[in-house]
Amino acid sequence: MTSDRKKRLRGRTAPPWWFTVPALSLFAFVVLVPSARGVYYAFTDWDGLDPDFAVIGLRNFTELLGDDDARQAIWHTVLIAVAVTVLQNGVGLLLALGVNSMIKTRNFLRVLLFAPAMIAQIVTAYLWRNLLGPDGAVNSLLDGIGLGSWRQDWLGDPKLALWMIVLVVVWQYAGYSMVIFVAGLQSIPKEIYEAAAIDGSGPVRRFFSIVRPLLAPAITINLMLSIIGGIKLFDQVYALTGGGPGHATDTISTLIYKDAFTLGEFGYSIALAVVLTVIVAVASAAQYTGLARNERAAS
Amino acid sequence: MKKIFAAIAAATLLTACSSGTKAGSGSGGDNKTLTIASVDQGSIEKVVEAFKAANPGVTVNLSTSGADQYQQQIRTQLASGTAPDVMTVWPGNGNPGATYVIAKPGYLLDLSGQPWASKLPDAFKKVAQYEGKTYNAVFGLNGIGAVYNDQALTKSGLKAPGTWTDLLDFCRAAAGKGTPAFALGIQDNWVTQIALYALVATDVYSADKDFDTKMAAGQATFAGSPWTTAMDKYQQMNTAGCFQKNPLGTSYEASQTLAATGKTLGIIQGNWIIGLLKKKNPAGTFTMKALPATDDPARFIMPAAAGAGYGVNAKTKNKDLAITFITYVMSPAGMKIFNEAQGSLPTLPDAGTAVDPGLADLTTFVKDNRTVPFMDQLWPNAKVQQTMLSGLQEVFSGQAKPADVLKDMDTDYKAGS
Repeated sequence: MTSDRKKRLRGRTAPPWWFTVPALSLFAFVVLVPSARGVYYAFTDWDGLDPDFAVIGLRNFTELLGDDDARQAIWHTVLIAVAVTVLQNGVGLLLALGVNSMIKTRNFLRVLLFAPAMIAQIVTAYLWRNLLGPDGAVNSLLDGIGLGSWRQDWLGDPKLALWMIVLVVVWQYAGYSMVIFVAGLQSIPKEIYEAAAIDGSGPVRRFFSIVRPLLAPAITINLMLSIIGGIKLFDQVYALTGGGPGHATDTISTLIYKDAFTLGEFGYSIALAVVLTVIVAVASAAQYTGLARNERAAS
Repeated sequence: MKKIFAAIAAATLLTACSSGTKAGSGSGGDNKTLTIASVDQGSIEKVVEAFKAANPGVTVNLSTSGADQYQQQIRTQLASGTAPDVMTVWPGNGNPGATYVIAKPGYLLDLSGQPWASKLPDAFKKVAQYEGKTYNAVFGLNGIGAVYNDQALTKSGLKAPGTWTDLLDFCRAAAGKGTPAFALGIQDNWVTQIALYALVATDVYSADKDFDTKMAAGQATFAGSPWTTAMDKYQQMNTAGCFQKNPLGTSYEASQTLAATGKTLGIIQGNWIIGLLKKKNPAGTFTMKALPATDDPARFIMPAAAGAGYGVNAKTKNKDLAITFITYVMSPAGMKIFNEAQGSLPTLPDAGTAVDPGLADLTTFVKDNRTVPFMDQLWPNAKVQQTMLSGLQEVFSGQAKPADVLKDMDTDYKAGS
């Protein structure tokens, strides 16, 4: 298609820009204006209660740079986001390949594996908090199969607690990634597999030469969703460990919550929220650009 | 697409924080419907029933929640004008739902003119007032000590220890029998402070009753005071096997089950635990004693202080009804129901409350003036306590040293209000 023709087509089919005014106004009213007002408080010392507060410029942000708890929380957030993204999508893809095969129980398995994603996060977190307790089902199971020496204080040990959170998130959402991958897999025409099989390619070669490139849109969506979810993770952390022991599992989100609602440092907490927003935006934009380039290259 | 994601993320994170700061009323303003938010689960319900019986035609919309959740939610409600007419308010300062914190920006109604306000003993007035005006109807007194499961103790053949040396021996013997002395559920971080307060009361305040005044004047520090001794003793108790295994993975709820069912011989907690233990083991009896923090019983002091009371929303449209409720809570009848249900002691002398027999020791300590308020009630900000709570979890998990936690508490204390 020539660029002249593209221009003509756009001129003929694109609606006038002011058609977007009603939607944009609503978006501005419910999203942009409240958010901007929220950002304003990041430059104040508002305690969440007192209507008399002072504008303090960038002090909240400079304090944030020197705050060990905040730095630690940012590090935990990055660790969780990366681990969740890798594991959730790895497991999700394997499950998708499994339930996309011709096994008899595939429909039942799809429902079963997707089921945890349908349960509220807080419910699964409390369930796992009991299962992972010192006398919970996990330790009892280890005892039962003669592995009593492997018993751990899963959520009370600062070295393990963060990984238990990752495990719970992956358990809950691997099925969600699987569903998106299955949709992607089903859009790949059977003929391509058959042609490749006739040409003598094995399953590994077929995966890398056919499945991976044609699955690129599903990979993009899954990675985007899991990295954003991982960075913003709150419910599971709060219910499983409350950010503890000490600050061993605090993420930016739990710190925002504690600083605002427990310590009454709303201004500081909103400054943290602004930082989180920037991290989410940068990470998702970078990832989206990279993956979109990949997608174009693959197609 | 990128911009949309960024905007959605911003909205999700920030809209919750962008509401106004004018207080409003909880319900309609006909003085027939009262909204109450409370943390007194299990006891306020009985008081509300009795209040409704005494005031026919009145409807009460009651919501109860745990202390952590409540403190977080009440601030948002006050700031956004959706707070209830009557609400739980903690005495003094030092936590986000405390009298000074909420009265300072003008969210609480001045209750100084109520007849009970002038009758409150001085120790309670100090924490129920802000700048000389009474804002908090404190009805009950709570204490902290070692609560023993009498049946489990008898079965173990051990006796409740009377000195610090006895305590460590008791812990070792109990651990040897497979039933550790005390249940400790510090997965919920507020629990970490309880045993420490029991030790600090004797270690710090038996030698220096004016420690709080000195702290406020900058003449004393946590790190340079017997708080270090108390911290050290807390860890000695842990090493001696006073607590069950894995306390950091044990919740407050799970610790109650351990103590109620005799899997431990007791629990170091506030007197409110007795009611909760009896719910889990109705046949059990439980006795509270001072935690022996030294070898000289004459020096024992118990932490005991006004528990959470009730305040009235300054912008309530049901002022008369709200005050009628507060008056009922502070009347002998209301106070009796409340304190008997909570297992606490009344703050006014003429309440006629039947005190749980297991609290005889606490009653004696209160009568003999051998108590100190919970330490955080007079701290200048909420951060000192939060630093202590997460710091203690770090000490228990080997991530921090007690001395560093005390230094951090000093830093936060000096930051002021």
